[in-house]
Amino acid sequence: MSHPSVLISAYLDGELNRDEVGRLLDHLAACGQCAAELEATQHVRTAVRSLPMMELPGGVVSEADPVVVPLRRNRGFLVGAAAATAAVVIAVAALLTPAPTSVTVSDLNSRFGARVSLDPAFGPAKVVVPEIVQVGG
Amino acid sequence: MRKLVALTVGLVMIPASAMASDLEELLERGHEASYSAEQIITCSNPDGIADAVVRLSQSGGDLHVAAPVSSDVEITTGYGGWVLSQAGSVVSSTELDSSEDPADPRYTVDDGTPAAFLGRRATQFEMRDGDTLRARLIFDNETGALLKALTFVGDGEVYCERRFIAFNPTPPTIEMVEVDNDNRLLRSDVETELPEDLAGFSRLDVYSDEDGFAFGYYSDGFFSFAIFETPSVVALDEASQFQIDHGVYRVSYSPGQVIYVWETLSGGLAMIGDLPPDMHEAVLTGLPAPERRGWLGNVWKSLFG
Repeated sequence: MSHPSVLISAYLDGELNRDEVGRLLDHLAACGQCAAELEATQHVRTAVRSLPMMELPGGVVSEADPVVVPLRRNRGFLVGAAAATAAVVIAVAALLTPAPTSVTVSDLNSRFGARVSLDPAFGPAKVVVPEIVQVGG
Repeated sequence: MRKLVALTVGLVMIPASAMASDLEELLERGHEASYSAEQIITCSNPDGIADAVVRLSQSGGDLHVAAPVSSDVEITTGYGGWVLSQAGSVVSSTELDSSEDPADPRYTVDDGTPAAFLGRRATQFEMRDGDTLRARLIFDNETGALLKALTFVGDGEVYCERRFIAFNPTPPTIEMVEVDNDNRLLRSDVETELPEDLAGFSRLDVYSDEDGFAFGYYSDGFFSFAIFETPSVVALDEASQFQIDHGVYRVSYSPGQVIYVWETLSGGLAMIGDLPPDMHEAVLTGLPAPERRGWLGNVWKSLFG
């Protein structure tokens, strides 16, 4: 076993299982370097935890005062959700929307021809000749 | 010179004193005449000459139109009805319920001059808009049938010539095609943004359709057209482009008739009529300009109307 610095830190954090703890303790018993590292790390942790808590005066870290990280994360989520919803609605609408009624030239001819026949000037001068009857041009 | 009050459908409503002219009598007789004829139509359109030969049969106000050369397509029309049939089967039909009073004509008509056509005694009339000749009409004196009609563009060039090449003034037998009336349209009070007056034409009436489109009928007393408001742009085969300052349109010409179609933000518009080409731009400019709505616009319209 090489010098397991990572395991030492994990051991102090209580993250090792029983087998790993057993192997680490066997190594520490035989390795003075690692035993010293364990002891030093323990001292540092103890020292840090013993420091008194300090109340920061207002404005010292003004940029950090508005704790927006969670909020930004939520807003991003909401915006994304809204955009996704809109996309789904549009896509569904596009799929479900029936195609507009298809009006054909024949429809136009038929209606215009019928109305022309009510025109006072109706007669051979205003006979509507649809394209289907065309013989030249 | 006098106003073309004769070109009114309500002849029976016109005081007897106003019906005394030859033209009015000819029109009335011609509307009720029974005859058969062959007519050749030749029109000089911006994209070239378009012509057709049709066989006409009129009896009791019903006019039967057939194309003897090209196909077995036949049209029976009159009194607000229109039936297009092919090989005896109805292809499309429309029946309109009523119409508005005719427009005040903007043309003046001369007193008529004696003429001869197809060996028959006839009378020729000229219609003018101010000094501009717009139509020359030759009526058969005996039957009132319109034997020949010339219409003109503003510069004096002939736009369309419709002339009988054979005429038989005996009552024909017209076989009416059986039609169900599921395409009967009523004149509607539907709200429309179509203008009441458009380039010298008056909107006489508006019809709406269960299929979701409406159309207004315009007349200046002789020439006429209809403007259709459609849910989508009408597909036009073999169309060409027509560009003016107002926009770009698709246009198709057939003998004596023109069709324009274009897209607007609210759907589509179409114009179909028999007016000469020099009148087209003024009419189109008075209507919503071509504008593409796009895919998102289509979705928006489908969602929110």
